[in-house]
Amino acid sequence: MSEPFKTVALMKDLMSRYYDLGEEARRKGIPVVWVTAVFPVEIIYAMDLYPYYPENFGALASARKVADKLSMAAEAKGYFNDLCGYARCGIGDAYASEHPVGKILSPDLLLCCNTQCGSLPKWFEAAARFYNKPYFLWDSPYIEEQTSDLKQNYLIKQLYELINFLEVTTKRRFNIDKLREVVALSREATGLWNDCLEMAALKPAPFGFFDACIHMAPIVVWRGRREAVEYYRELKAEIEERLEKKIYAIPNERHKVYFDHIPVWPKLRWFADMFAANDTLVVASQYTQAWAMNFDPARPLETLAEHYPQQFVNRGVDYRLKLKVDFMRRYNCDGFVLFSNRSCKPNSIGLYDKKRMLTEMTGLPGVIFEGDMSDLRFFSEGQVKTRFETFFEQLG
Amino acid sequence: MVIKELMNRFFTVVADPYSEAKRRKEQGQKVIGWLPTDVPEELIHAAGAFPVGILGSSNNIRLADTHLQVWVCSLMRSSLEMELCGDLDFLDGIIIPQTCDTTRALSGLWRKVCRTPYVEDFLLPKQVKRPSAREYLTGELARIKTSLEQVTGKKISDETLDTSIRLFNENRQLLRRMFEIHTHQPGLLTSREVYTVIKAAMYMDKAEHNGILRDLIRALEHKAAESAGTPDSKARLVISGGVWEPPEIMDLIEEAGGVVVGDDLLTGMRYLTPDVDEERNPLEALADRQLNKIPFGGFDNQNYERRRFLLDLVRNSEARGLIFLHLKFCEPENYDYNDMREALNSAGIPNLRLETEVANPSLGQIRTRLEAFIEMIGGNPIERTL
Ligand code: SF4
Ligand code: SF4
Repeated sequence: MSEPFKTVALMKDLMSRYYDLGEEARRKGIPVVWVTAVFPVEIIYAMDLYPYYPENFGALASARKVADKLSMAAEAKGYFNDLCGYARCGIGDAYASEHPVGKILSPDLLLCCNTQCGSLPKWFEAAARFYNKPYFLWDSPYIEEQTSDLKQNYLIKQLYELINFLEVTTKRRFNIDKLREVVALSREATGLWNDCLEMAALKPAPFGFFDACIHMAPIVVWRGRREAVEYYRELKAEIEERLEKKIYAIPNERHKVYFDHIPVWPKLRWFADMFAANDTLVVASQYTQAWAMNFDPARPLETLAEHYPQQFVNRGVDYRLKLKVDFMRRYNCDGFVLFSNRSCKPNSIGLYDKKRMLTEMTGLPGVIFEGDMSDLRFFSEGQVKTRFETFFEQLG
Repeated sequence: MVIKELMNRFFTVVADPYSEAKRRKEQGQKVIGWLPTDVPEELIHAAGAFPVGILGSSNNIRLADTHLQVWVCSLMRSSLEMELCGDLDFLDGIIIPQTCDTTRALSGLWRKVCRTPYVEDFLLPKQVKRPSAREYLTGELARIKTSLEQVTGKKISDETLDTSIRLFNENRQLLRRMFEIHTHQPGLLTSREVYTVIKAAMYMDKAEHNGILRDLIRALEHKAAESAGTPDSKARLVISGGVWEPPEIMDLIEEAGGVVVGDDLLTGMRYLTPDVDEERNPLEALADRQLNKIPFGGFDNQNYERRRFLLDLVRNSEARGLIFLHLKFCEPENYDYNDMREALNSAGIPNLRLETEVANPSLGQIRTRLEAFIEMIGGNPIERTL
């Protein structure tokens, strides 16, 4: 991780404003709508509702190293430690008597898209029963090879069902022109975010994956609002400024590597330091890149129904392999890191074979490590370290 | 005596599940397997192919461990193991349903590391109540139909599909009739026998299964009339979960003084209900069968009311308790369990959760817990003769 960015202060501010808005929404009777990270939140903003991201709560609790505590509250209740760590944090907090990262904001409505995984709908169903609030699933069939008219029509039909559901439950009107504006703002912010990420391709680079992990919160929660655009404009300017001043992400960049997915949140600093100590910069990840979407505001509903469900998380093996290889090429990587994350089955099952295939496709060395993105009870520092030692030797 | 002979046929099948599939293959028929659950076998049958279930085995898992993490459910690890060992070399194809993240990821892996020539997904809708689900599912079934036609080279006409639907409906009706006799007089067949008949249906030719099952039902009805009025002291139980594995679990339940009189298993009631409407357009009717199935964690939602379903099931089966039979690492069940248990607890229905694995029959502790549970709810354990 680089020396702190000035914009970090701005981001902290922005995030606390986001949480304050949630409290305010509750007070004013504006519906608090739970949404998943890869969900057309633009519709929520277009209807002036407040979107809340329980996954973000999970990531926060994980980064603050309390996921195990919250998980244990869920386990005591009758949930299991093999479920997704975010879900365990969210469910655990609902039952816990102590709230180490503040109380998760209870929903008035729950909207879920299963493009990411099958874990989220199960979590949201359980939450909908717990809070006794209406739940809607935007069901996104898997795309093994390519999408089809059948799937796209289904997705669009469901967006109409969603809008109808929202109009009935919130008694507010949906306005397509408003949606167009929100989608345009989303596109602007995601474009800027992409610009920031791309700077990791420079050698040496002023910005890397671990920086992106810190700076990604606004693209998740403020996407669709002017605040996100402004924030990423600032961030981009600062990265450019640092480039001029020759402030780089790590002091002595020799290697670039691709990191496949979510970081181990409670060990973010530890990983960042380990890579830096080996003069290796992590430059890209399908995870942080997931929010670099290029919407078409002229076809607001269609564009949402294309971009969200066609994310890599909902794609077959060949697409995912190609995506990883493309990142490695675009960012001039010398190796790759795969995280066999027991919390996130959809992104981890199949990695053992993908490691071999990726090396065959790129000729680059790779490493795979076991762990849990949230919960340190399932992370063995020694084991992971040993794995990486070999990897760094291979990088040379 | 007759019952025993008929039962032997079914036991022989589950002990060597793929002998019929292999025989068919030798005769030149295509064999298409399916993973649990909900793959529309009628379409495979109508395409002239032989459908067969791939349900894991009790063999140790070795080869699959280099492909799948240990925290993947044993049903899928074991099924992949079967393929990697060469036990499924007779397959011309496999259809993998999207029930959870595990099957979703497995289908891609199967394409890459297995020899099965044809791998198809069944992309079921995960919401089942809104109109869009039905329209999409009908389209998805049409897509699978075309895909099967291409692989078998045989066009599926409405007439052939109707014929297949009738055959499979008959099988479901017969199985339900057998089950009904069993719930009225649980002593006639053991729990393991009842469920073995169901499982055998997933491996056998349906017409043959129907024939033997019809004889079995006749024999059971006869015996039922003879022994009517004999009191039964066993504790009636409902089982909830995915698959009844390992199969010895059924013996343990009976030895501890229980008998299974209802379930929501994939290899149980979910396979036998509901029928396909024979009067309608066959694809739409198949879609409706899917959407009207009993609840299952993979497709559950708030509207589905899985909790109410289980309470009703316990009451209608006049059961004294419910046993959750959950596979370790089964995500859908692990998310649903807490709420299901709470609903049962508030209704005063005793319940027990057992965690099992397909390929790991270490049953000592399960036996002890079953005995304690059944004793608590007032069953009389059978004298164990060792
Ligand atoms: S971490 Fe993985 S399993 Fe958990 S919510 Fe995200 S995509 Fe789903
Ligand atoms: S539903 Fe459960 S048992 Fe079935 S494949 Fe998924 S995790 Fe395994």
